[in-house]
Amino acid sequence: MARRVVVLGIESTAHTFGCGIVDSSGNILANVNNTYIPAKGGIHPRESAQHHSDVAPRVIRTALSEAKLSMDQVDAIAVSLGPGLGPCLRVGATICRALAVAYDKPLIPVNHAVAHIEIAKLTTGFKDPLIVFVSGGNTIIAAYSDGRYRVFGETLDIALGNLLDAFAREAHLPHPGGPRVEELAKKGERLLKLPYIVKGQDVSYSGLLTAAVKLLSEGHRIEDLCYSLQEYAFSMLAEVAERALAYTEKKELVLTGGVAANSELQRKLMMVAEEHNAKFGVVPKALSGDNGAMIAWTGVLAYVHGVTINVEKSYVKPRWRLDEVDIPWI
Amino acid sequence: MRSIYLGFEGKIIKKGAEAELYLIDFLGIPAILKKRIPKPYRAKELDAHIRRMRTSHEVTMMFHARVCGVPVPAIYDVDPDEGVIIMEYIPGPTLKEMTLKDYEVSSIFKLVGFYVGKMHLNNIVHGDLTTANIIVPEPEKPFFVDFGLAERTGELEAIGTDVHLMLRALESTHYSKVKELFNAFLRGYREIMGGKVENVLKKVQEIRRRGRYVEERRAKIH
Repeated sequence: MARRVVVLGIESTAHTFGCGIVDSSGNILANVNNTYIPAKGGIHPRESAQHHSDVAPRVIRTALSEAKLSMDQVDAIAVSLGPGLGPCLRVGATICRALAVAYDKPLIPVNHAVAHIEIAKLTTGFKDPLIVFVSGGNTIIAAYSDGRYRVFGETLDIALGNLLDAFAREAHLPHPGGPRVEELAKKGERLLKLPYIVKGQDVSYSGLLTAAVKLLSEGHRIEDLCYSLQEYAFSMLAEVAERALAYTEKKELVLTGGVAANSELQRKLMMVAEEHNAKFGVVPKALSGDNGAMIAWTGVLAYVHGVTINVEKSYVKPRWRLDEVDIPWI
Repeated sequence: MRSIYLGFEGKIIKKGAEAELYLIDFLGIPAILKKRIPKPYRAKELDAHIRRMRTSHEVTMMFHARVCGVPVPAIYDVDPDEGVIIMEYIPGPTLKEMTLKDYEVSSIFKLVGFYVGKMHLNNIVHGDLTTANIIVPEPEKPFFVDFGLAERTGELEAIGTDVHLMLRALESTHYSKVKELFNAFLRGYREIMGGKVENVLKKVQEIRRRGRYVEERRAKIH
């Protein structure tokens, strides 16, 4: 049995600053996250970055004390270098570089999207799933093939989480927008007509947002609007997921990312999986949104396969695509 | 219009994500019956609407493509309410299968590019250009199928999306040959589209930068 490895991972790609500590058996020893909530509107990158640098020391200290570890007992530092918002990424990267140098620990580059996938695989036990990754900034359908996660479908414009949040803001629903839309949708009775836009294996949500906002201004019942918005957006996603499942012939389907907690989306994707005799799994709610544990766990996988990066070369990569990352641990 | 072939007898030859394909006997000749199946995850009224629209749309677009000289199966019958199309049976492997089996396919890709250009010049956008939607009964004549997402438009945006879909199909499934095959595609595409190709490629680049996280240096199209 290989020696136990402990990795501390830092997440700071968007509105969440998180610190997770995970060992090589997949035990999550700590997962402390602090999310920036804008007073109004969406995330302002600079304000979010300011929030991250304010809370960082406390978050990291809390994580270490939860794990009952000192920095000496940590083997390596994992950093989420992208994709994400530049100013936010730089806070996490600066802290990780400092920790790596000060405590003389190896630094491990982690791709945020890969981390959402790996934490879902760890928690569901799936080995080779088709992945539906949906969050505020991402809508990606991917599967592993020959050394990398390949992208089989994605949004052509805005992300699913962004669609729900932006609509919630237009409707003056309080934060957090997505869950509010989900609650109201349960009381929806009428399906309103909206654009259903699937292009090949991709979806397009910007037209859907515009149309929903227009119906909002025409005074339709908010419950019907939320129901219709979800019905269209999720059906489009389920359709492209089904296409990818039929195309790749994977036998597992996993849902991950912040929007994964939505029960209606889960229900639809479960039906897709059933139709193709695939197992269906969802990342647990506590690990669906951005979090430090997923960075730490992916850091473990990378570290035991020799992936590290020199501090001098640890640039943030705001546009680091999922399918550019080599995956040596599969 | 109800199809007389609704009580058909045939053998299922493919169960795709959207439809089932049956090989049937149509007035004494082999034919394909394509049936769009209801999706339990969609609200009933939305599902019925989508299947009806796509079915009637598909035959219309196949007809347009055929008229302008693009190889597509001939339509024999259609029943939008049932989501059924009966069409010519084209025997042969898909371009996806041929490419995965390492056949020499660049000349086929060039032809594919040529015919896609022909569609685009005639305001037809296929909407689901993948190598699985191209059947190759003989190397000189790749047949295009699955026009359910096609559009009648000459807009650069739609044309660019079409080319993006082809490129992405290469990246996800034929990743070791992306450059070679996309270049072959472009050779045929350029042959018919001429100077318009540069504008299309610029659009493709813009589309790929839009919703996606793209490494800046990589944003150039191969």
